[in-house]
Amino acid sequence: MTATLKRRLALLAVLSLFAAACSSGDDATDNADTDSTEASDDGDSGDSGDDGDSGDSGDSDDSGDTVDLAQGGSVLETVKARGTLNCGVSGAAVAFSFTQADGSVTGIDADYCRAVAAAVLGDANAVNFVALTAAERFTAVAAGDVDLLMRNSTWTQSRDTDVGMDFGPTTYYDGQQLMGRASDGFSGSSAVSEIDGAVVCTNAGTTTETNIAELAGTLGINITLNTFEDFNIVTENFIAGSCDIITTDGSALVGRKAEQQPEGEEWVIFPATPISKEPLGPVYGQNDSIWADVVNWTVYATIIADEYGVGKADVDAALAGDAPEMVRLLGGEGELQTAMGLPADAFYQVISQMGNYSEMFEANLGPVGLVREGSANAGWQDGGLIYAPPAR
Amino acid sequence: MAAIQDDLSMNLEAGGVAPDVRPDTPVKDPVQWMKENLFSSVGNALLTGVFVAVLGGLLWWFVGLVFKDSNDWDAVATNIRLLFSFNYPAEQYIRVWFSLGMLLGAVSLTAAFFDINPSMSVRKLGINASGLGATSLIVGVLPATPSGARIVFLIIGALFLAAGVGTLQAVDEPHKKFVSFPTMLLTFGLSVVAFAWLVPIGRNEFANGAVIDEGGFANPSTKIPWTIMMAILVGVYFLARAVKPMLPVKPVQTFLITFWVAGPAFLIFLVLRDPTFDYDRVLKVDIPWAIGFAVVGGAILYWLTKPMLGEIGRLVAVALLGVAVLNWVAAFFGWWSMLQKTRVSFLVLALFALAAPTFAGEKSARVRYVGAWVAVVALGHWLITGINTTSTLDIAAPPFLGGFTISLVIFYYVMLVSFPLGAIMALARTSTLPIFRVMATVYIEFIRGIPLITVLFFFSSMVSLFLPNGMDLSELAAIFIGYTLFSAAYVAENIRGGLQSVRRGQFEASDALGLTTSQRTIFVVLPQALRVSIPNLVGQAIATFKETSLIFIVGAFDFLRVANVSIASQPDYLGQNLVGLLFVSAVYWVFAYSMSRASRSLETKLGVGSR
Repeated sequence: MTATLKRRLALLAVLSLFAAACSSGDDATDNADTDSTEASDDGDSGDSGDDGDSGDSGDSDDSGDTVDLAQGGSVLETVKARGTLNCGVSGAAVAFSFTQADGSVTGIDADYCRAVAAAVLGDANAVNFVALTAAERFTAVAAGDVDLLMRNSTWTQSRDTDVGMDFGPTTYYDGQQLMGRASDGFSGSSAVSEIDGAVVCTNAGTTTETNIAELAGTLGINITLNTFEDFNIVTENFIAGSCDIITTDGSALVGRKAEQQPEGEEWVIFPATPISKEPLGPVYGQNDSIWADVVNWTVYATIIADEYGVGKADVDAALAGDAPEMVRLLGGEGELQTAMGLPADAFYQVISQMGNYSEMFEANLGPVGLVREGSANAGWQDGGLIYAPPAR
Repeated sequence: MAAIQDDLSMNLEAGGVAPDVRPDTPVKDPVQWMKENLFSSVGNALLTGVFVAVLGGLLWWFVGLVFKDSNDWDAVATNIRLLFSFNYPAEQYIRVWFSLGMLLGAVSLTAAFFDINPSMSVRKLGINASGLGATSLIVGVLPATPSGARIVFLIIGALFLAAGVGTLQAVDEPHKKFVSFPTMLLTFGLSVVAFAWLVPIGRNEFANGAVIDEGGFANPSTKIPWTIMMAILVGVYFLARAVKPMLPVKPVQTFLITFWVAGPAFLIFLVLRDPTFDYDRVLKVDIPWAIGFAVVGGAILYWLTKPMLGEIGRLVAVALLGVAVLNWVAAFFGWWSMLQKTRVSFLVLALFALAAPTFAGEKSARVRYVGAWVAVVALGHWLITGINTTSTLDIAAPPFLGGFTISLVIFYYVMLVSFPLGAIMALARTSTLPIFRVMATVYIEFIRGIPLITVLFFFSSMVSLFLPNGMDLSELAAIFIGYTLFSAAYVAENIRGGLQSVRRGQFEASDALGLTTSQRTIFVVLPQALRVSIPNLVGQAIATFKETSLIFIVGAFDFLRVANVSIASQPDYLGQNLVGLLFVSAVYWVFAYSMSRASRSLETKLGVGSR
């Protein structure tokens, strides 16, 4: 008899514990109990004033913390609520996004992350950099792990149409080139057909490998293609002489030449017109045009400011100046920015904190020897491709 | 019968204290030793010659690699911070030092209170010093060594060789005299301090032109903090030795074991991460819930551990498990909302309830079981709350750990959790109950059939797709869970190997004594099995430590990736990954070798292989 009683009591205790647990559920803070680091993802203490009371336990606790697209919100609202921008970068791409000795992330990709943060949040440092490998970058965008991906990703038809993401305006026009030694008879004006019979080295499993193999097939030349896991090893083999030619994006080759060319040797990059097109720019989640506009116009703002020659130093002068487009862009008059959900001074913040396109280019790509003049990355007035629609 | 007799005689041997009656091994002088061991015949002399040539060639190649012209060792010196703690903010370094200080203090306390005092005979010390000196001299005369370094190597080599040989000559019967542990500890501390003050590490310019400040307390500077660290290491040891007679040893030991299990979690999530607690919420929600679970769960468990409870206990346990599972299903479909930690707590309670019959017994045993539950609730709720609270740190990338720290942390926790998990799995696989056996076998074979990279990638990228909407698994948690489940399968197989070496007679004898299954397993079978498994387990630990570098696949910046990729992609050190790799291998070697040395001395202590 007592055994039955005790059994009932025990069950009752379990049930009461359970019932109590249910009724006082809900809170954003405990959503991800294992979430040790991405505290900002939960948006907790910031917006979880609705603690553990049963007030809104009616709906699922698990939906409250991120406004995702399924619910009709824009990433813009999420970023504003969170107070930081989650930006996916490489973390190991020279001049685009690499980690400094003090742990900070530097490069033109990183600077564009900061520019977007400055536009949305007014603070260029409100960026949470997420280092992504090439394999996981697009999954991270599609899953919403990052709001913005600035990870030197080439804009291609399949990527644009296939996966859950869209591409923004190109911030750097890259292209695959080859690098050989002047002593082997190569020069800046050499053609690809001159590498017949050479040992060509590049990274394994990349499009550069496919590109050069396809091109060799088209030109009907014979090359020995050696691939290595990362480009450091490729370069070492080139220095050691076991590769005659190395090939990858032109921007990387310029950096390698500047830093690693041994004394008394002359490395040359050719052909003058790259063998592939690699437009690099921002990537964001699909079908969110509010957020897309914010990212695109942040990029355009840096380009327009560059067209007017307005940089970090003279942005205040430009705000009070007499170029109407600049004044509109910087928020001096009109409601161009407020109409798209940004503060009126959004682009003023971008230019004053990060500078214009040229300044970002010079600061990050200049040190590795890349120049705008004469390349596809020159402004459209100078025969380049960097162009922005008018701000009006 | 014969087997039982064997076991009995073995036990007698093991139990009785046998005086060491072995005669002293005569100590030979080096020339004679070489004659006997290396040049005893023409063939032997030839072999010796070949091996010396091969070893010399390898050393030559290696020295050439280290002193290669294109190597820029500044790349490592400048990036020491990045290598060890990645992007942890410099102004918060006091937290890193605090954590390190606590760990070093705990090491000293443990050594003092568990009487760990390895000593080295003077003879061995002399031989090691001479060996080091000779190697240094050889490196000094190799043509690959640059002339600047050559002199340093020659001087150091001569000093060590002289000191080593001098010690051996000066001391009578050097194999019977020992250098005590305190002396070694003191020497180690002084050497580190001398190194910190004399070798200019941490003075290099950053790529952006800023210079690391050498003064001040909380700076990423190296000198003063390392001096304090060594003072803690040595000071705490001597202090502990002094106060040991005045303190009850057992409770201190229990405290230390608790610290080693729970302390690192405290240091990582509450010190290094520095959560900003919302105390109002903590008082109104978190603490009441923890108390509720501790009290109600404790009562249920106390009742469940009653001997002779029978079928009812099992039914309650299964009901609890049902509720626990239902909570997760409900979370997935969004039927009702609940604090995440109550879901976790229900699950843990169900597991405790299921295991309860095994721990049934006296009142004291039952109280102890309930105590364990309360401790788990307290620790679990505290950590979950801490982890879920926003960090005050302004850290750029998500895993707030990186570099060597993340490698070490992942290794420590993976081993800490996968060891008991593996032991349970090994027991399940050797169990007589088919359901456990089949489940464990399927799990182990499945995990062993897939590569670690796949497991990590699955937990990092795929698992979040199966989680309830809005719930997320952080990078660090994903790595930790995936790696632990992977490692546990291997640990299980190692322990199973040990279990199979325990003789049938041990089981029969335990049964004859009337021990319960759990008593037999815990007190008779496992200790013997684990003792046999030590070499394999240490092998697994070393492998786990080194394989932490695979976490790069999910985007974490571990030690190796920082050296290989991060440093080599800084414009100043473009392509300088060789120096980083050499440095990383040196650090890995020191740690892996220490582990294998520790295991060897543990084996000697437990007599593995000698009985």
